[in-house]
Amino acid sequence: MFGTQSTRDISFEFQSQIPNWRPSIYTRRANITVKFQDLYGFTVEGNVDDVNVLNEVREKVRQQGRVWWALEANKGANWYLQPQISSISEGIALKSSLKLSALTNTITLKRLIRKGIPPVLRPKVWFSLSGAAKKRSTVPESYYNDLTKAVEGKVTAATRQIDHDLPRTFPGHPWLDTSEGHATLRRVLVGYSFRDSDVGYCQGLNYVAALLLLVMKTEEDAFWMLAVLLENVLVNDCYTNNLSGCHVEQRVFKDLLAKKCPRIAAHLEALEFDVSLVATEWFLCLFSKSLPSETALRVWDVLFNEGAKVLFHVALAIFKMKEEELLLAHQVGDVINILQKTTHHLFDPEELLTVAFDKIGSMTTNTISKQRKKQEPAVMAELDQRLRRLNSLNEDDK
Amino acid sequence: MSRMLLSPFVKFLFLEGVEQNQKGEVVSEKQNKYKHRFPSSSLYLLPHISSIFLCNFSLHPPPSISSSLSGPADIDSMATIGHNNLNAKLVLLGDMGAGKSSLVLRFVKGQFLEFQESTIGAAFFSQTLAVNDATVKFEIWDTAGQERYHSLAPMYYRGAAAAIIVYDITSTESFARAKKWVQELQKQGNPNMVMALAGNKADLEDKRKVTAEEARVYAEENGLFFTETSAKTAVNVNDTFYEIAKRLPRAQPAQNPAGMVLVDRPAESSQAASCCS
Repeated sequence: MFGTQSTRDISFEFQSQIPNWRPSIYTRRANITVKFQDLYGFTVEGNVDDVNVLNEVREKVRQQGRVWWALEANKGANWYLQPQISSISEGIALKSSLKLSALTNTITLKRLIRKGIPPVLRPKVWFSLSGAAKKRSTVPESYYNDLTKAVEGKVTAATRQIDHDLPRTFPGHPWLDTSEGHATLRRVLVGYSFRDSDVGYCQGLNYVAALLLLVMKTEEDAFWMLAVLLENVLVNDCYTNNLSGCHVEQRVFKDLLAKKCPRIAAHLEALEFDVSLVATEWFLCLFSKSLPSETALRVWDVLFNEGAKVLFHVALAIFKMKEEELLLAHQVGDVINILQKTTHHLFDPEELLTVAFDKIGSMTTNTISKQRKKQEPAVMAELDQRLRRLNSLNEDDK
Repeated sequence: MSRMLLSPFVKFLFLEGVEQNQKGEVVSEKQNKYKHRFPSSSLYLLPHISSIFLCNFSLHPPPSISSSLSGPADIDSMATIGHNNLNAKLVLLGDMGAGKSSLVLRFVKGQFLEFQESTIGAAFFSQTLAVNDATVKFEIWDTAGQERYHSLAPMYYRGAAAAIIVYDITSTESFARAKKWVQELQKQGNPNMVMALAGNKADLEDKRKVTAEEARVYAEENGLFFTETSAKTAVNVNDTFYEIAKRLPRAQPAQNPAGMVLVDRPAESSQAASCCS
């Protein structure tokens, strides 16, 4: 998806071999590889099938846009921005003051969002649904500007790491990989590292923030989206010092896989394949690094409306979609190849989301919260034990 | 050939007749678009293949003689590369930005990117090497370098047959970090793990902060095999992987086939013994 390697780095001998190896290796029906830019400026490398799928997706996006306009004509402008019964807080008793119309709007909206938010409406809808707008309204208007001004020129461990990662975040992207793109991404990441010093900077956030910047109109909105993601949408401590939240999510994911895809789970266990080997990146980058951009953003559409459980739906769906193939794999490398090939080629978001929500079946935020609670002590104990072991290593050293 | 011969850790004796062993074929198996095959005549990797033959195995006599000396099984394994297949999990550990991903990219695809995407969690690659009588399929886990990702590392080095601990020769911090990784692997890793210490970015000589001598002494003290690499210029990259492939414990080692041993590596022999068997 983000193939950016330039030919100048390839040795001459290597180049001369290209015509020889390419056709013999691609066993796919279409042999020709095409390189082009997708909707968000990422370079996509795919075959003719992929291009066709992307064109269909583009058409579907247009159709979906018409559905949204029609509803707007019917329900009034910005109807979707009205107070929601947020799925994120589902389980909290519905307030009696809620009107029936709000309820039906919520249901309509949920279904609509699973079908995709038109790219042009994304910034507005995300900002409202995720709670970013509300978060921002609790601080003075000038918060972001003041923050970025106050931290300008400061050097911390986090800023050094951010500087290091700027050119390594989607290198080759026509905007992100420019001095303007780097500077903007830097302000957002550095600003956040000062807002929450427990998180500071965690690798992975660079990709998340970069994609947010591409979607949201302004860097300030991207900053607030990042804040609401880390502080409200995702589970706590996903990105803090030992990634404990991420460890918890991985354990929950393993349990869910055993429950929802028992055959795959059993097979992978027999191969001694730990699903976290691949799923960790999915959860930390919220699929921004593994799925084609529009597909990743469709996942985010639902993520901001329904909460972090969506990540489990999508991760399970990726395994589920390839169940038969995975069951035939007998080596760890083959399993990874199947999963990587699948994610990189998921140009049709519909294909993924249908499995994620229809085939996987419902999981409420409540049950997932319970599972997290169940796993937390074990994760904490394990991390603590590890830390003590490492500390004792250091003492041995002295 | 010349750049390979610069390897500080290998001394070669060249003898005639070596070419007959160069049947190696290297297959790159990274799953995506760069999937390709180097034919055995590839200029690109041939020198390294030959280096392995030179330093690991004796020159095999012609088959007719060999059969009388070592039995038909040996002939078989020589003739059909792939008969002795070895799968080896290899993990790369080291500080953020030391160049772990770049080393892998150089080894697996023969490429170098000035700015390599930062790795999150870990990335997986595989690459198969033909080493005389066997093929070694490396399953490579290239891990994320940021300190907080440390807590994920055991998942990746668990059961690993080999590890490359990478530091950046222009950063003393990264060297300190590398030492910590070594310590951790010694205590927690697979006891037979083949460990290499790689000082990367060797092309940045004018910015060097960690001397080769310092690192070499440390490596010797800890039974590691040490090399300085440059993913950018490709110096010592493939050699490092070949050296590891060579040192991996084998199910059916062709350790002492009859015939002359053409290896001249006095400094290395003691370490090799501690790693290999």
